[in-house]
Amino acid sequence: MGIVSPGESLAPGELLVILRHAPHGSSWLREGLEAAMVAAAFGREVGLLFTGEGVLALLEGQQAGALGQKGSDNLLAALEMYDVERCYVDAAALERRGLSENDVSLLPVTVLAHADVVALTQCFSRVLSF
Amino acid sequence: MRYALAVYGGPYSQQASHSALRFAEALLARGHQLTTVFFYHDGVYNAASMMAPPQDEPHLRDRWLGLAAQGETRLQVCVAAALRRGLLDEREATRHGKQSYTLEAPFELTGLGQLVEATLENDHLITFA
Amino acid sequence: MDNVVNNCMNLHLLNRSPFSSRVYEDVLNAMGSEDQLLLIEDGVNGALSSAGHYLAGLEGRLFALREDLESRGLSGRCSESVIVVDVDGFVALTEAADKTISWF
Repeated sequence: MGIVSPGESLAPGELLVILRHAPHGSSWLREGLEAAMVAAAFGREVGLLFTGEGVLALLEGQQAGALGQKGSDNLLAALEMYDVERCYVDAAALERRGLSENDVSLLPVTVLAHADVVALTQCFSRVLSF
Repeated sequence: MRYALAVYGGPYSQQASHSALRFAEALLARGHQLTTVFFYHDGVYNAASMMAPPQDEPHLRDRWLGLAAQGETRLQVCVAAALRRGLLDEREATRHGKQSYTLEAPFELTGLGQLVEATLENDHLITFA
Repeated sequence: MDNVVNNCMNLHLLNRSPFSSRVYEDVLNAMGSEDQLLLIEDGVNGALSSAGHYLAGLEGRLFALREDLESRGLSGRCSESVIVVDVDGFVALTEAADKTISWF
């Protein structure tokens, strides 16, 4: 985790998956993560950007819903197995929710300020958003 | 240019399907190629064989069929999202012991890998959600 | 930021009204200085004169889809700084962009 050092962390990539919905309330987050994993399993170079409510996916202590519905924590745990190593979180989205980089401990992530979020959307050649 | 569309919005719930169809028709009119429409999330309901809207409303499934009939566009439906929502082709229906099926050609059940392919192999992917 | 990357121009598609959804904040946060924003579906509510403060600073880069304005009866209430395009213009915007990013 840490502040991005440009040129290194923001190297070109093939597919950026933007996740901006929270776990449990809808299937957007799980479906986005599944798309990212499939892309990685196909050997594609994938990056993840958690922004908006998506930053809540990174909080510890999540569990299945009362009826047993899955959240996203089990998918996040599998990311490393799929070689999805470029994970980023939008600093502004964190701040609006009263969170800091110490709160997003579920995954090793790089916190990005506005200019680097822009750079990230530019350095990946394709984007899928969820 | 080669285009693919991703449709995530449910028909008759969100405007997404209408927007995607309008965009599809306009891009063909401008001489582009539409290789793939990929249905995911609630967008999979666009493929429902039993869709029966009132006659004075656009029949979205038929509009997708019309698009596919123009030749070059594949209508691909995420199999995992579809099965969860009760959209099964004949093969899946048999496999799951169901008495009828709810999805048929030209819609095809495919894996998410096809969305990734469509995203990476076309010049543009436009998402309607 | 611009010394980090190539001169890439993205088109952003927003289909949620800024009066009811704050997704526009995430869009603005991800927009480069050359990027364009097209409002479609409920997003066109952001083209109202009264919505100017939500999407400030996008002069010449803020578009709205004509048919979605018209179906909502909003054509005459649109801010002068918003460029109205038809669906053909929508396709043209995607042609000119390196990629199109949807926000919903």
